[in-house]
Formats: sequence, C-alpha cells, structure tokens
Amino acid sequence: MNATDDIITEESSAVTLDHVTRTYKRDEFEVRALDDVTLDIPRKSFVAIMGPSGSGKTTLLNLVTGIDHATSGRVAVGGEEISTMNEREIAAWRARHIGLVFQFYNLIPVLTAFENVELPLLLTHLSKADRKTHVESALKAVGLADRMGHYPRQLSGGQEQRVAIGRAIVTDPTILVADEPTGDLDAKSAEEILILLTQLKTQFDKTIVMVTHDPRSERFVDTVYRLDKGVFIGAEKGGASTKATAALQISA
Amino acid sequence: MTKYLTLIFKNLLRSKRRNILTILSIAVSLFIFSVLVSLPTFANQMLADTTSSVRIICRTKMGLAYPLPVAYKPKIAAIPHVVAVAPLVIYGGIYHEVSDQFPSVATEAAQIDMWSDWGLTGVDEFKKIKTACLVAEGTMRRFNLHVGQQIQLRGTVYPFNVTLTIVGTIDKGPVPSFLIFRHDYFEEAAGSPGIAHEFWVRVDDSRVVPEVCAALDNQFANSSAETRSVSEAAAIGGILGRYRIFMKLAEFLGLVAVVAIGLVAANTAAMSIRERRSEIAVMRSIGFPSGVILSLLVGESMIVALSGGVIGCGVAFGLFKVFALNADALGPFVSLHVPPFVLAETLAVAALIGLFSAYVPARAAAKRSIVETLRLVD
Repeated sequence: MNATDDIITEESSAVTLDHVTRTYKRDEFEVRALDDVTLDIPRKSFVAIMGPSGSGKTTLLNLVTGIDHATSGRVAVGGEEISTMNEREIAAWRARHIGLVFQFYNLIPVLTAFENVELPLLLTHLSKADRKTHVESALKAVGLADRMGHYPRQLSGGQEQRVAIGRAIVTDPTILVADEPTGDLDAKSAEEILILLTQLKTQFDKTIVMVTHDPRSERFVDTVYRLDKGVFIGAEKGGASTKATAALQISA
Repeated sequence: MTKYLTLIFKNLLRSKRRNILTILSIAVSLFIFSVLVSLPTFANQMLADTTSSVRIICRTKMGLAYPLPVAYKPKIAAIPHVVAVAPLVIYGGIYHEVSDQFPSVATEAAQIDMWSDWGLTGVDEFKKIKTACLVAEGTMRRFNLHVGQQIQLRGTVYPFNVTLTIVGTIDKGPVPSFLIFRHDYFEEAAGSPGIAHEFWVRVDDSRVVPEVCAALDNQFANSSAETRSVSEAAAIGGILGRYRIFMKLAEFLGLVAVVAIGLVAANTAAMSIRERRSEIAVMRSIGFPSGVILSLLVGESMIVALSGGVIGCGVAFGLFKVFALNADALGPFVSLHVPPFVLAETLAVAALIGLFSAYVPARAAAKRSIVETLRLVD
C-alpha cells in the first residue's frame, strides 16, 4: 500500500468522512457495514473505492450521496456537513451537488435519452430553452449527440451508461458518484466509460468518486481507496496519478 | 407543474392496455353512479321547484274517474285568498295508435295563465282560437310535431274525436308530455256535460295553501261530490313517493359501484407503482423530493380516474338525451337528465377515486428508503 504523505485540509476536500460508522439491523443481528472510517477525498480528483464484496464500498457511497445516514460520525461534502440535514434539505442538496451513475444505468425506459438527461433539470428553474441547451451539451460531452431521440431499449449497454453519465453531469454537480459503472459492461465498453470519466475530470474539473471491483479501473484513477470488512485500510496512487493526491488518516 | 406533464403522460402510456381498461371500468361505474344518483336528485329538484307553489289541486274524493260539477267554480273562487280557478277535464284521447297515447286535458282559455311558469308559448293564439292547443316539448319531439300543425285525437273515454291546431308549446313543468286544449271546445263536442275532473286553484300566498285546502274541502263536505284538495307539491310528492324505495336503492347501488371501482383502481395503482419502485428510488436519488414524486404518481392516477369520469358522465348525459326523445314510459321521469350538480359530483368522485387509490402506495413509494429499494431491485 502506498499511502500518500500530503495532508489535505477540509477546504480542499471534496469529501470528508470523520470517524464514520454505519450499522444495520438484520433481524436480530447487527451488521457493521462501515467501522470508524476517516478519510478525505481531494477536489478535482478521480478516485476509486475498491474492496471485496461486503467491504462497505456502496455504503460509503450512499453516505457520500446522502441517500443513507451514518450511525455515528460526520460526513461533509464540498465543505457542507450533510449528516445533519433533514430529508427535504438533503434532496435539494443532492439535486444541486451530486451526479449519480448506477451499475445498471437505471434510465427511465419510457423517456428518450434527451428526456432522461433532462430529468434532473426539471427540479431547477431553468426555462425549456435553457434546459434544451444544457441537455444537448451533456449529451455531446458523452458522445451521444446523435442519439437524443433514442429510447433506452434502442441503445447498447455502453450507450445507456453514457446517457446515465449525461444525466449525472447535466446539472454541473460538485461531485460525480458512480457505483460500479462498468460492472454490467463488456471490456471495450467498460474502457470507453472509464476514458469518458477521465475526460470529464480533466476537461470539466470534476471530482469523481467511483466504487468498483474492476482492477482495470486502477490505471485510470488518481487514487484508490481500499476497504475491507467495513474498515478503511488505506489509499494508494492510481495509474493516472502523477503525484500524491490524497491524505488519509487510517482509522485506529 | 407543466414541465412534469411529459413525464406524467409518458408514464401513462407505458401500459396502455391496463390504463385503457382502468379508464373504461371507472367510466362504466361512474356512468352507473351518475345515472342512479340522478334519479333522487331529479325527484328532489322537482319537489323543491314546487315547494313555493301557490297552486292547489282539487279533485273528488272518489278518484279521477268521477268528475266534479263545473258549477263548483264560482264557489271555489269565492273562498278567501283564491285568485284564480281553472277547471280541468281529462280527455284521454289517442294520437294515431293506442301506443301513441299521452295525457290530453282541456281547460278554460282565460285561465291558461294559471301555468304561466311552465314556459307557455302561443298563449294569445290559444285564447283566440277555439280549436287551439298547446303541446309539451316532450310530445312535440316524440311525434315530430310543429306549431301550426293540425292534429286529431281519437276519444277513448268520450265518444268523439277532437281536431286541434297546435298554436304553442309547454317548455317545462313537472309533466313534460301532454297536450292541453280549450274547455269550451270540449263542452261543445261533448254536449255540455258541465264537468271538471280537477280544479286548479291559485292562491295569493303559498303560506295559506293548507288553509285554503281545508276551506275547499269544508265547502263541499256532505255534498254529492265531496272534494280532496292538496297542494301541487303534495300531489307531485305523492307521485314521486311511489318511487322512493327505488331511489334509495339507486343511491345505495351507486355508492356500491363507486366503492367497488375504488378498490379495483387502488389495486391497479399499487401494481403500477410497485413495478416502478426502482425508477422512483432513482428519481429520489437524483434529487426529486418525496412531495414531487407523490404528486406525480397521484397526478397520473387522477388523470386516469378523471378520464373515466368524463367518459362516464358523457355517456350518461348522451343516453338521457336519447331517452328523452321517446320515453313516455318513464312517466314523471320522462325529462330525466343528469343535472349539472350530479355531473360535478361524479367528476369529484372520479378525482377522489384517483386520489385515494394512488395516495397510499404512492406515499409509501415516495417515503421508502432509497438504499433498501435499490438493493432489493438490483
């Protein structure tokens, strides 16, 4: 493990987890999905959260996006503490700051690529013309400008995931969060998606947090954060890193 | 909200067959509801319209088959508060065939204003022409009659026919299918029998109606033709009273139809929402608040239910229009229609079906844990 030496401040962090624990009740058992995790993810970096099944990767992602709450500890994203927000506040915050990409794309099947990408913009006060401009830009950015009128069933898996990425970036969120974005794709499509995410990071200065099992991802990211059995074991440089990008505080 | 309309309509189109069937089943039940609820509403409206009536109907105690002497008229007119008296003879003729029968009566031309609130036209001609008659709108439509036309009625009770000229119409009133001609023509044709089956009496104030009824019956007590006088409202109420049990039953069945379809719609909405729970979770994860999700789902359900309501109301409204053309068999209900109030009520019921059928499953979906839902579906 090559832990980085640079200490990053909360101001320069996109994500800060401070002694975060998440436990679930499963019948009479208590499952500790995350156990006292403390880490920082710097802004404008492309990081991967890796670990075996059940290591707490997706739980960590859910906490970062605010769709789940920590049992204890503090979660701050873009300098805002989200652990204390109520449901309405967190929904509004998520709409503004988070772009989500799922493993199975999760597009709305009755909407075209254009309408799927437009979906998050319906929550804004943008006019129809402005929404159209934003959607066209997003679809152009993911290379699907010529597929706007296509329904998900008319697209390949890779194209569907591109639409999902378009939907995630259309609001220009602070952080793009991807849960196994290549998990349902063939090798070629998976590589295309990873290249696209890398481009989004470099061209648009996005912070991208990706949960993945895919070892090929390591060469595209700046830092790999590893979890095992809910415990953060450390961070190491990814293939895209030219310098240390993350500081970590391994939980005790 | 308009920006969400595309989303709502696209979701409605995802299962066309199911939604069409749901709309049709709601339409059928609300058609039944609007028809059944129209009956008592219509009857109550008829009664309400006559509550303030200043008219009294005076008949013999022995029934309509036994006429009163027309000579009673001046005695009735002399009773305090009476301002007009119109003798009425029931002629009972038939037009063409026996099946073409409708009530036909004769009254004094000078007293035709007794029913001025029934939308009479051609009153002046009626007063001038001895063979004139006024025909109710229902009868005009049924036999395709027109003003100026000459018609002949064959006597069934009386052994003579009458040849009449239609000079006007009767556009409203509680008896929408009948004909009225002149009493002097009847007397002449019948050989001056000097009879009246009823006297219609107008008083100067609706509050004195019971008092005048009593005075009338006292006037002719212990005579050879004793009378029983009732207010117009009581007479109509008596006719409608025979149908009261059916009206109660109609109301109950209308309610049953609504409850039954409400349960079906709730099941359909629950199925539809359950199928889309992953999409709902995704929408929430990208920032859609629970309230917006709830509104979208309930909105879809209300569009389905209101579509059914509009179709149901439209069919009921149209059907009564068709019935009204040739349905004397409906008796006092011949002019039955779906009142605007019932149309509004039916649409409100449709909206409530849409609201309540979707609210519980939609609220559950909008509140369910996003993490749990995504995990279950994935």
